[in-house]
This record gives sequence, C-alpha cells and structure tokens, in this order.
Amino acid sequence: MKMLVRTLDMEYETVSAFAAQAGFKTPSGDLIRRDTRGHLSSGLFPVWVLGGVAVVLLLLTTTGCGKTAAASYRLNMVESAKQRLKPEQEQQVATILAALFGTPDEPIAPSECGLDAAKLHLAAGPVRSDIVGRKNGLYREHCAHCHGVTGDGMGPTAAFLNPYPRDYRPGVFKFKSTERADKPTHADLVMVLRNGLAGSSMPSFALLSDAKIDALSEYVKYLSIRGEVELALMRAFFELDDEDQGRLPEDREFLIEEIVLPVAEAWQAAEDALIDVPEMAADIDMAASIAKGKELFYGNKANCVKCHGVTGLGDGQVNDYDDWNKVVLQAQKTVQGGIEQAGEASTWDMDADEAVEHRAELAWLDRFQKVLEGNALPPRTIRPRNLRQGIYRGGMRPLDLYYRIHAGINGAPMPAAKGTVPPEDIWHIVNYIRSLPYDFNGTLGVDKPMVARDRL
Amino acid sequence: MSTVEPTSPAVQESPQTSVAPSHSHAASTAGRLSTFLSTYVFSKDHKVIGLQFLFSTLLWFLVGGLLALAVRWQVAWPWSDVPVLGKLFAQQGGQMAPEFYTMLFTMHATVMIFLVIIPILAGAFGNFLIPLMIGADDMAFPTLNMLSYWFMWPAFIAFGASFFVEGGAASSGWTSYPTLATNVNSSPGSGWGQTLWLVGLTFVGVSSMLGSVNYMTTIILMRAPGMTMFRLPMTIWAMFITAVLQAFALPVLTAAGFMQLADRTIGTGFFSPEGNIVNNAMAGAGGGQPLLWQHLFWFYSHPAVYIMILPAMGMVSDILTTFARKPLFGYRPMVYSVAGIAGLGFIVWGHHMFMSGMNPALGVTFMVSTMMIALPSAVKTFNWLGTIWGGRIQLTTSMLFALSFVSMFIIGGLSGIFMAATPVDIFIHDTYFIVAHFHYVLFAGTAMGVWAAIYFWFPKMFGRTMNEFWGKVHFFLTFVFLNGTFFTMHILGAVGFPRRLADAYHYETFHHLQPLNAFMTYCAIGMVATQIIFAVNFFWSMFYGPVAGRNPWSANTLEWTAPSPPGHGNFDYQPVVYRGPYEYSVPGIDGDHLMQTDPPNQAAAAAAAAAH
Amino acid sequence: MKRFAAVFWSLLFLSVPVLGVATFIVGPAYDIWLPRDVSEHGAAVDGLFYFILVLTGVVFIATEMVLFWFIWKYDESKSNGPGRYVHGSHTLEVVWTIIPAAVLLFLAIYQMNTWADVKMRRPNMSPTVEVVGRQFEWRLRYPGRDGMLGTPDDLHLVNDLHLPIDEDILIQLKSMDVLHSFFLPNVRIKQDAVPGMKIPVWFKAREEGVFDIVCAELCGWGHYKMKGRVTFEPREAFDRWLERKYAEQEATQPTGSEATMTSRAAARPALFARNEPL
Repeated sequence: MKMLVRTLDMEYETVSAFAAQAGFKTPSGDLIRRDTRGHLSSGLFPVWVLGGVAVVLLLLTTTGCGKTAAASYRLNMVESAKQRLKPEQEQQVATILAALFGTPDEPIAPSECGLDAAKLHLAAGPVRSDIVGRKNGLYREHCAHCHGVTGDGMGPTAAFLNPYPRDYRPGVFKFKSTERADKPTHADLVMVLRNGLAGSSMPSFALLSDAKIDALSEYVKYLSIRGEVELALMRAFFELDDEDQGRLPEDREFLIEEIVLPVAEAWQAAEDALIDVPEMAADIDMAASIAKGKELFYGNKANCVKCHGVTGLGDGQVNDYDDWNKVVLQAQKTVQGGIEQAGEASTWDMDADEAVEHRAELAWLDRFQKVLEGNALPPRTIRPRNLRQGIYRGGMRPLDLYYRIHAGINGAPMPAAKGTVPPEDIWHIVNYIRSLPYDFNGTLGVDKPMVARDRL
Repeated sequence: MSTVEPTSPAVQESPQTSVAPSHSHAASTAGRLSTFLSTYVFSKDHKVIGLQFLFSTLLWFLVGGLLALAVRWQVAWPWSDVPVLGKLFAQQGGQMAPEFYTMLFTMHATVMIFLVIIPILAGAFGNFLIPLMIGADDMAFPTLNMLSYWFMWPAFIAFGASFFVEGGAASSGWTSYPTLATNVNSSPGSGWGQTLWLVGLTFVGVSSMLGSVNYMTTIILMRAPGMTMFRLPMTIWAMFITAVLQAFALPVLTAAGFMQLADRTIGTGFFSPEGNIVNNAMAGAGGGQPLLWQHLFWFYSHPAVYIMILPAMGMVSDILTTFARKPLFGYRPMVYSVAGIAGLGFIVWGHHMFMSGMNPALGVTFMVSTMMIALPSAVKTFNWLGTIWGGRIQLTTSMLFALSFVSMFIIGGLSGIFMAATPVDIFIHDTYFIVAHFHYVLFAGTAMGVWAAIYFWFPKMFGRTMNEFWGKVHFFLTFVFLNGTFFTMHILGAVGFPRRLADAYHYETFHHLQPLNAFMTYCAIGMVATQIIFAVNFFWSMFYGPVAGRNPWSANTLEWTAPSPPGHGNFDYQPVVYRGPYEYSVPGIDGDHLMQTDPPNQAAAAAAAAAH
Repeated sequence: MKRFAAVFWSLLFLSVPVLGVATFIVGPAYDIWLPRDVSEHGAAVDGLFYFILVLTGVVFIATEMVLFWFIWKYDESKSNGPGRYVHGSHTLEVVWTIIPAAVLLFLAIYQMNTWADVKMRRPNMSPTVEVVGRQFEWRLRYPGRDGMLGTPDDLHLVNDLHLPIDEDILIQLKSMDVLHSFFLPNVRIKQDAVPGMKIPVWFKAREEGVFDIVCAELCGWGHYKMKGRVTFEPREAFDRWLERKYAEQEATQPTGSEATMTSRAAARPALFARNEPL
C-alpha cells in the first residue's frame, strides 16, 4: 500500500524504472514492441477455417442438396436371399409388384383384392393436406416410423422397441376373432388400432376419427396382401421349369389368378369366419368357475403352467420365439451351419463343377449373412404373458381372453385350445385368469388394496 | 488517442518470431516440430489459448445453429422432406423419425450450452482479457490454462462421436432426466449416445474447473500495482464472480454425472425407483429417486445460466461506457449486483422443478428467492440506462450489439417473472414461453454480448478492425430475425404450446399454430444465413482489414495500452494503475478520456502526447 | 448522414416496444392466446398472469422507450459537448432498488394463496380416477362401484378420460416407466408423473366440453403423440358412460346392443363375493 502511494506521486518516466528496481516482472524480449501488420497470434487458425468449411462440405456431399427421392418399397431381402434369387429375378419381382400394387405415394390394388381405393389414397403418400384440408399420408404420419413404409416392421424406430413392431408381409396377425390360421377381420384391425396393444409399444389411436382408422386398417390389409404376394412370387421361382429360364410369367391374368387371388380370398373369407363363442351362463357360480379354471390351468389338457409358470408370472419357459423372429433365427442358423460345413470342405478334392458350386454356395452364404445383418432385426425371445399384471395385449375383455385361449395366438407359441378344451371349460379358465391379479387373502380396505402393486 | 510512438524504426519483428526460442540456429526437425507444437498447438500463452477457444466455439456455434434449423424445420412442417438430413431417411421419403427429432433438440441445447456459450465467455474472452485488463503478463498457471483448453477436445470428440454411434446421439433432453436418460431401453439415444454425452459433460466440467481456479488466482494475486479490486473493469469482476460460481457449482454436476454414468453402466440405482420397467425390459437395481438427479443437476445448472450471462454483462458494461464516452453509472452497485446475482443464484434452483413432484412448500421458498433475483438484474439494467444517459454515443457495430443486449435482456428478464410466479408456471412450464425466455437471455442477450465483444476486441486480438458496414448489416439482420423467431414464442407459450414435441398440431388446442411456426422458421433460417456475413467479415478482416493501432476505440482500460496484438508478456513495460476504469469525458483535460495508467498529475503530459 | 444513421438505429430500438406490444394485441385476435379455461382455480391463475403481464408490460415499455430516447437524444452527431462525467447517483440507486424489491415481494406474497389452493390444499376424498403415464399413453383406472382402486370391478381405459363437472376431482397420478407430465391446458393443471411416486392432482371443472391431455415432460420418441382426451360432462352422463364402458370391458359376446351388454354385465356376479362398497 505504501509503495502504491509512492508510485502515485512519481513522475511518469521514473515509474517504470522504479518498478523494475522494485522487482516487478517485466516482460521478456525487447522493451519496445512495435505494432506490426495484422496477423494471427493464435496457433492453427487455418485449421478452424478449414474445419468450418469442412463441416459444411461434409454435410452437403454426404447428404446431397435438393429434395429427397420419393419413398419406395423395400424388397423382402431375407426371403430373396433364402430363395437364392438372382438380381434380375429380384428386379422382376419388384417390377411385378409395382405393376400390381403401385408405390407408397400412389398405391393401386387389383380389384380382386376388394380394397377401397379412396381409403388407400387417404392413408398413402407423404404427409400433407389436400385442397379441402383433408390429411393424406396417415400411414406415413402415424405408422411408418415403426412399421416401415413397406409394412415390414423395420422402420427407423423399430430396433429400439420391445417387442418389435408387426411385420405385415407374412399375413400373420396375432390378435383377432377368427380361428388361428385365418386372417383377421376388418373389425379386428380396427379394434387393434383403436385400443392399441396394452403392454407393447403399439399405442391406442382411439382419438383419431373413425374414417382415419378405417383408412389405416385398409392400408394395413393392402400392405399385408402386397407382402404375401411378394413372398408367393419369390417362392414361385422354385417351381419354374428350365424353359422359363428363371423368369416368372408376367401375364397379368395368370398372376392374379395364381398368386393374388388365393391371398385376397383368404382375407375376404375371414370376414365371415368368426369364432363361435358360446354364451357364458348368466347365473354362473363364479367361485366354482374360478376353482375349475384353476384346475384346468394346472392340468394336463390345457397345460398352461408349462409356459405361464406355476405362479402365473410368465416364467415357465422363456426361450421361445415368435414366428417372425424364428424366420430370422432359422436363417441365422442356416447361414452359420452352412459356413461351418463349407469351411470343412476343401476344394482340393473337388472337380471343376463341384468347386464352382462350392464357391457359389459360399457367395450365397456371405450374401445371406449380410442381408441378415443389414436387413433384419436381431431375434428376440418372446416371453409368455405375466398373468398377474392384468395387462393383456389383445384386450382384457372376457371375450378377448376366450379368443386367445380358443384359437391361440397366431405367430406366437401360444397354442389353440380348440379341440382339447371344451368351450365351457375355456370360460372357466378365463374366469380364473381374470382373478389372478386379484389373488388376495386379506382384509379389503381403501388403504389395503387387492393388487399388490398398489400397496407400494 | 494516446499511442506510444515507436522510437526505433528499424526493429521489424513479428511477435511470432519473438515467441520462438532465442537459439535461432535451427535444431533438428524433431526440435522444430516440438517447438511448433509448444508454440502454436500446446501454447501456454493465454492469448493463444483464448483464440483457440474462440475458434473452436465458433465452429460449434455453427453446428448448434444447424441443429436448431433442423428442429425448426420439423416444428414448422412436421413429417415433410427435410433438406439435407432427409437423405438419412430416404426410405421414408425424407421424413425424419421422431427419435431423431428428440436427438436434434437435445444436441442443439447441449452443444450451445456446453460447447459454445460457456467456453466462449470464460474460455475465449476470459482467457484473452483477464491478464490484459489487470496488467499481468499471463495467467497464474499457464500450463493449467493450456490443459483447460485441451480438456475440451475429449468433449468435442465425445459429443461429435455420439452422432455416429448406434442409436444416435443423446436424446433425453440436455437436462437428461432419469429414468429416460438412465434406462438404456427407454429411447434410442439412451444407449451409447447418452454415455458419450456424460463423458463429454465431465470433460467440459474439468476444463471449466481448471479455468476457474486459474482465473480466481490470477485476478486476486496478479493485478498490476495500483489496480485495486474496485478499479477493475466490470468484465473482470464478472469473470471473477463467474469463476467463483463455476468452482462451487461444478462439483455437484460432476458428481451427478458420475452417478448417472454408474446407473447406466454398473447397475447402481441412484435415480431409478424399485421395479422400474421401461419398454418391457427387466428392471434394474432400484431404491433411487428420479427427483434426486433434478436437484443435483439444477444445483449446478442454475448457477450455470448465470455463468452464461454475467461475463457478457461485464463486457457490455465496458463497451457501453467506451462508446457513450461516459463513466459507468453506479460502479459499486453494479459490482454488488453481479455478486448478488451469483449469490442468490445458488438458492433458486428449485424454480426449474415447480411441477416436478417436489414438495410444494419448497415451491414457495424457491419462488420467493427467484422473485428476489430479479432485483439485481433490474438494478443493472437501470445502471446501463444511466450510463448512456447524457453520453456522446458512437453507434459502432459493437455499440449496437451492446445496446441490443440491454434491450433484449430486459425482455428476457421480465419474462422470467412469469415463470417465477408458481401458479402461472403451472401453465407455462415446459411450453414455448420458457423457450422464449431462455433464448432471449442466452441468444438475444449473451450471444449479442459476445458479438459486441468480438467486434470490440477483434483489433486487440488480430491487429485489424472488422468492417463496420458489414458489421452493421450483420447486426441489423440478426436483430430483426431473432426477434421474429423468438418474440413470437411468447404468445405461442401463452397458448400452452409444449416444448420438445415433434408434432403438436394433432392436438385441438394447437391445431392453428402451424403458420406462425412456419413464419418463425423462416426468420430462423434468415438468422443463421446472416451469420455467413459475420463469418466472412471475421476471416477477411483478420488478413485484409484496416490495421488497428493500440487503441482504436479510445478506451481507457489496460489492454488498450498493449500492442495490437500483444506479444508474449503483453505489455511493453509493467503497467501501473492510477485510476479506475471508465474515465471518459473527464473535465479539465485536453483529450476526452484518461487511461487507467495515466498518472494523476500528468494529465497535461498525457494530453500533449495525444496531440501527436 | 451520421444523424440519419443514428435516427435509423434508434427507430430500430423503438420498434422493440412497439412490435412487442403489437404482438400481444394481434396474437389474441388470431386466437393465439390463453386457451379457454373451464376450471375453478383457473381464474386465479389467469388473473395472476394478466397482473404480471401488465406489470412487466409497463416496465418493458418504459425501459425500452427510455433506451430509444437516450439513443436518439445522446447520439454523438447530435450532442455537442462531452459526455456527462457522472459516476452514479446514490439516491437513484436506493430508489430503484427499494421500489422493485417492494413490488417483487408484494407479487411473491400475493400469489402464495393460489399456489396453496392448487398444490397444497388437497381435498379429503378418495381418487376419482388413477392416471398412469406410460410410454406413450395415459392408462386410466376408475375405482368402479366399490369406490376402491385395485379391485376387480375397476374400469381400465386408455387415453379417454371422462370426468364429472361441478365436483371436486382427485386424480392419483403415477408413471409406469419414465417421467411424464399430466397437462390439461384448459384446466390450468400440470403435474409431472414420477415413477415410484403417487402424486395427487385436484381441480374442479365448471363447464362441459372435450379438451386435450398433453404430455409435458420429455418421455422419449413418442412424447409428441402421448395425446389424451378429457371429457367433462354432467354426473348422470358420466355415470352412464362408466356403466357402458364397464359393460364393454366385461363383454363375453362379439356383438350385442348396449342395453343387453349392460344388463348382462350387471346381472353377472362379480369376480369376488367380497365386493360390497364400504
């Protein structure tokens, strides 16, 4: 402080001398530093300039400028690889499908399919409003990011969902009111859209208008029919003679007659093929029914505990797969087995033809593996339902549970009880299952709820 | 202008060579390489480090701005073909997936907060200006300083890499709330993306911590003789108090970050409740509380928002006084206000959590402290107005940005009062009202302050001035577009338009708001495009701008006595300080200002020198 | 020329208060304003909003006008003399510290009652409905005839919330997985749903209508589509709706008129004998 006061009194010129004398640090280098022409005293500045330019260029070159191309359908690569289709055969399938079913923006359907073109138009295309203000592109807006534009259950979000979204292409649907092997009715699809699938990532779209739900159900049917036709076409190559030279006949009549019609007819037949559900007796003794149901649950005929577990928690067996995941799993096993086998073989002992075949086999295995890595979701097991939660994917009505038990779940390991368990007995099982979340032995009260989870 | 005339004209040295070691006989290539590395890459000179921060953060500013444009595109035209990014979604015809949108706004905020605003204020300007303004030759710990920059690079790499990992970058919001952020199954970006995010955050925290220790020590111990604390320019006071804020708040965030990392990787359950099943995956360890993260996070992040504005306030004070040619109105109240904001800033964090499920009684206490924190900001605003009152205002680009800081900060600050009122917050929490508020304080406030500072100190950094005309064009367009983009967000918020929604128009309440959002997106596009003008001006002027002398703005603080740009060691001789900052329009002298180094009884001599 | 530039810039700063106020006048004209409020406490919330709007509006206009005026008046091309060499004014500092402090303190105290009403003074009743947020839907559970949640006669629904008007409503808010937030814009209600916590939400609706339920806390990719609908209707209509929905839930046949479904469901014995209301 004293030093400070002293400096304040000094002559200007002597200050620096005093400061130096007092031991204040003076900068290194020359005393006088002149201003220079402007330059950069920082390191590596060109790097930042280049960095900024690089970021912009990178964006533009990797992604390109201009509008993105219209959405397009993706070929069923797993099936194509399985059937060992050649590129020109894949191309033919794509062309036939385009001719029959159009594009995601402009869908068309053969009249034999019985699909309503107006509804398809509402559901298809990019998300936009038409002149009247009607919203098009419903599917793209609500469904495509999970179910994919092609309906293959492989949209951008799909990989992160458990369970995976439905792949419509095999034409197999789980939750419906028809027999196990039948297609769902239109009302079934509407119900799934309306209620969602409780406990999965499929939300309820009940807040959409009826017209929109209708249009979306129609579009799902359309994608499913298209997918099944695609599968049938791919499998048809196997049936060809040599004189066909690996090309399917492109006669429209033939294609409709042989390929499309069987698929479409299955869908139409479903509308009239509802399961006949007997009435549950109005004066049923509930307690007795539940007891009987419990007997059946643990019995050999229905054998529920095998999968659902003796506690009903769904831990009976946890290593099974649903059909969609089985396809990928089996394909993986085929590829794995084939690679091992091919690895053991040695071209040393082969003649020219065998060697060519061997190499072709290896090439096919390699291609299949790439397809499975890039075009299929890693298989996930399916857990049997935890019956203590009171959450049932296909709906919690007694009717829904009846359907599930009677027809099983198509595409899942849940078997059909039809034929094994008589209809009244199915009602007993239904009543037992509905009592499971409330399996409770204590005093009831506002703060003593039946459901254990609520007691937390 | 008091420019010291060089007395020996023959000395033609560029500071670059003066920085090189004295043995001019070149050593081996390895020696030259290590010299190059230690001079330009791993430099310990605070000015070099400051510029390294500046360039890095400006680059990330570009990235953050582009992310914002993608967000704005989706909000304005949901599910349409996104330009450039649409190519990533070619299968869907260019329509982005909803999880991509959550990633966009998460990374926009993360980049802007942690990689742009915090480093540019403390890292770029703090580093560059503190020794110069207090009369020191460098920071107290030059090596630590160098490390504080290079610790940002792992953060750059972590955040940058997170865009390319499976599942994409973090998508739980920059607030990263559990259990969305802690549970790997809850969202695509909660996988590797979130882990890398936490890693990046930790490195930014370390870098800030190193910086703050350095700044506090330097400011306390290395001031020039005569530079008492109450003669420090407001920039330094702000940097000092910001450093204190960093030091006390950061450890909490780092700890919370480690806890969340542990929850995600080694199966702890700090933030996960018992039996928490997300997306049908198995529940992890439980026994934790999601609200715990919120408390820990906001305990840091609320002081963080003051870290993100106080330096800008300080710099704006300096700029306003320089171009109004007037002392700062109420220097001590200003200092106390900055300290008050910082102090109160530690007891208001709960105002981010009014709706969170925290005890509502706590809501009352936080509401009171939040109301009170409006007071020092108001005092500062009045003092700024007092500063320009009666001045001789020179409307340079820098001054325009500084004035717009005041104007926009008023809006940002006043909108904060709505959310401090808890019943009103019931409605506007998580709506665009909040988005409007923080964009006003952060962008219309701090970023404008940053631009003011860039235009102001550019001559000191690079020895040349930026182009005034194009600077004013940049200012005008930015000002117009930012208000078009962000002011309308206030009324959007009044409707209750929620944040972070990929598509809000399917709600009846928000159905009619699409045209307004389209307007805002056009303004946003204009705003980002305008920055091209700034970028061109910035880089052009660096090489071809008019050469600036030591003191182009006739400012009075210490950095303007050093050469432009200063060499290693900063000053020609040890500066001694005789007066406070902001001695403009001093009566009874010949010039219109006195430098801090002008001795009291030498006013005439200084005036005589200025006449040359 | 310099004066022209100064005028230009000061007018730009003048446009801030002018256009700012204009936005808040034009917005409501285009229905871009607070949505319709049908709740009992909403008037207090909106009243506070308007009070703060007026207060901040006055301060906003005043300070921005002062800023404009100073730029206009003290620009260097206009003024002749040097700047005023003033370091501050103690009086002014005291005045403009005390007055804002008093106003802010008043505001703080003025609003405490409303906050307590909405968030602290819970009505003494059992829940009307339990709302559970889940990625990405609102799962609803009504207690059913026995008035208790967690019994077999509960009604389970998704997204479609019905509530009676002119009655105290108590909602038990939970979350199944991540944070959500139950936001009813037209009722001025918002509450985060926290996994592991059971949070009560209460209000009273005074008018009928159908309104949105919005999720207001980021919960993942589907946050935007977590849309629910709340219908306020008179008690009789509400009860009828409950009956109808319960009958649908208990359906044992695919088709059937509403009446038969209802009567069948009513006739069938409950799952447990111990289901009498307490």
